[in-house]
Amino acid sequence: MMKWMLAAGAAALAIASPVSAEKGGHGGKGQGGQQVSADRGGGGGQKQARSNHTGGGQHQARASGGGKHHEAGSAQVNRGDKGHARQTRFVQNDNRGGGRHNDRLRLENHQGNQGRQAMFENRQGDNHQGNQGNRRFEDTGVRVARFDGDRVFRVRDVDRHGGVRFRDVDRDELFGRRLGYGVGGCPPGLAKKGNGCMPPGQAAKFIGQPLVRASRFGVLEPLPRSFNSLFYDNDDYYYRYGGGYVYRVDRHDDLISGLVPLFGAAMIGQPLNPYYVNSFNQPPYYSAFYPNSPYDCHRYGYGYVYETDCMTGLVEDVIPTYASGYGIGQIMPASYSYYNVPYAYRSYYADNNDYYYRYAPGAIYQVDRGSALISAVAALLTGGMTVGQPMPAGYSAYNVPLAYRSTYFDRPDVWYRYDNGYIYAVDPGTQLVRSIAYTV
Amino acid sequence: MRRSLIPLVLAAGALALSACNSQNQAHKDEAAKGSEAVKQAGDKTIAAGIDQNSSFFKATKAAGLDATLAGPGPYTVIVPDDAAFAKLPEGTLDGWMKPESRTELTRVLTYHILPGTVLASDIGKAIDAGNGKAVLATMGGGTLTATREGDKIILTDGDGHKATMAGTDETLANGVIHRVDGVLMPGKKA
Repeated sequence: MMKWMLAAGAAALAIASPVSAEKGGHGGKGQGGQQVSADRGGGGGQKQARSNHTGGGQHQARASGGGKHHEAGSAQVNRGDKGHARQTRFVQNDNRGGGRHNDRLRLENHQGNQGRQAMFENRQGDNHQGNQGNRRFEDTGVRVARFDGDRVFRVRDVDRHGGVRFRDVDRDELFGRRLGYGVGGCPPGLAKKGNGCMPPGQAAKFIGQPLVRASRFGVLEPLPRSFNSLFYDNDDYYYRYGGGYVYRVDRHDDLISGLVPLFGAAMIGQPLNPYYVNSFNQPPYYSAFYPNSPYDCHRYGYGYVYETDCMTGLVEDVIPTYASGYGIGQIMPASYSYYNVPYAYRSYYADNNDYYYRYAPGAIYQVDRGSALISAVAALLTGGMTVGQPMPAGYSAYNVPLAYRSTYFDRPDVWYRYDNGYIYAVDPGTQLVRSIAYTV
Repeated sequence: MRRSLIPLVLAAGALALSACNSQNQAHKDEAAKGSEAVKQAGDKTIAAGIDQNSSFFKATKAAGLDATLAGPGPYTVIVPDDAAFAKLPEGTLDGWMKPESRTELTRVLTYHILPGTVLASDIGKAIDAGNGKAVLATMGGGTLTATREGDKIILTDGDGHKATMAGTDETLANGVIHRVDGVLMPGKKA
């Protein structure tokens, strides 16, 4: 057992070491040993090299490289010039943006407001349900009874039949709700994380456009180094991240050639297609992760959990489960704001300056602090066993880790099965999980 | 008469006990063998135990699961050989390697990972106990079906594809690897 623990510890160390190396890439502040500082130097170097790649430097390099053949050389130089011209145009663009930026923003805002007003009018007019909803909110005497700090407050709600109900409201969230996500308001969770937000239809229009177009909707950044293996820059393409999407940019013309929507951003603000939902198939343990409230309705469908606004039916958050390919390179849903790693795994995965760890159905995720993107799957977990419940299907084979087999082996009166860091005792007759025999 | 009965009863009891002890001893021996295998593996993890140039390892890297398989686990990983990947329809593997199709790739790979350490002999015992069939839960949420064909263990996926297990347990620090000759597909989404 001791050996196994040691081995596991070494494995944990092996995971931890790239973490410290990663720090260099971020230009993190120093603490730790010599090795770390050496790594940091390397990281910085690489970063520089990469920044050269993306900028005009690359064009220049190409131009000089082409000097060997005269004709081709001139063409290349030409191209280089073009590149340069384009760049200056970009700069101009930017300048123009700088000059007119405020105006344009204001204009857009104005339009946005109009749209919103129109929607509210609509609601008061022919949309009967919406109207009712509004009336209930305003007429039946919502009173602020108490302030909790300055963000959360408690509201006393009296319904038509005289029933009194209290509920706590997050101020940001309420503000977001009032705006309505579909009309340009950002879902509060994403807005807080600084990821920006954009409906998927809008994002698709950016394909074939210069990157600056997309950058208006959110600051675009190169992906953190830990994502290089997933969105790998090469001679033809590089990737930029922001606004809920990863954009693939063609190096030759600097136009967006493709995008990867990040779950949790792509469907937000859209009505939920009923075709996507098959709630009857929802694994029972999901309700513990995603409890319904009068305002948040969760729908499950084909491996995804959709958090919708109960009143409007619009999608607020899309939380895919691991089996559906969620995970690495994706946004961690904003609702996972607190440390929730199961006790059996806490010694391995503690939040640190670069990463935090969150448990969602199927896995413990390592999340990059800067980008809120999932940078690794720390551990895969199953749906889990529950004491007193039947053993789930698929555990007929003995699976206790080798180090514990001398103590926990199947006997006629008791079986042992390993699951998510625990060894469970199972009654062979009834197939009910009897107790937790050991915490690994 | 009564006096002569007592040793007899005692002897019967001792016999029963010794039978039980020998059974326990068998388990202990087996367990000791397992511990020895883990000791030999040292700190070599599943991620290190898979050939770094194999299609399976490249796929785990593309899905970002290589770090997971170097974690504490324990996991049982069913590793299809390169020939198995070559048997897939043209372009399948290349398609999986693209960032856009990481979803599909992850579903396929998590279908090859089982919770805990399941040795080939454990699957064999479960097949015998389950009237020739054992259902195995995967990390992806789906299940595999194990059956016997001669002295080999056959794994069948949701679509009915079959893969034969090599029958060797490659024990590593954080689990065990089984080699198979076919890629298993999780089938339609539940």
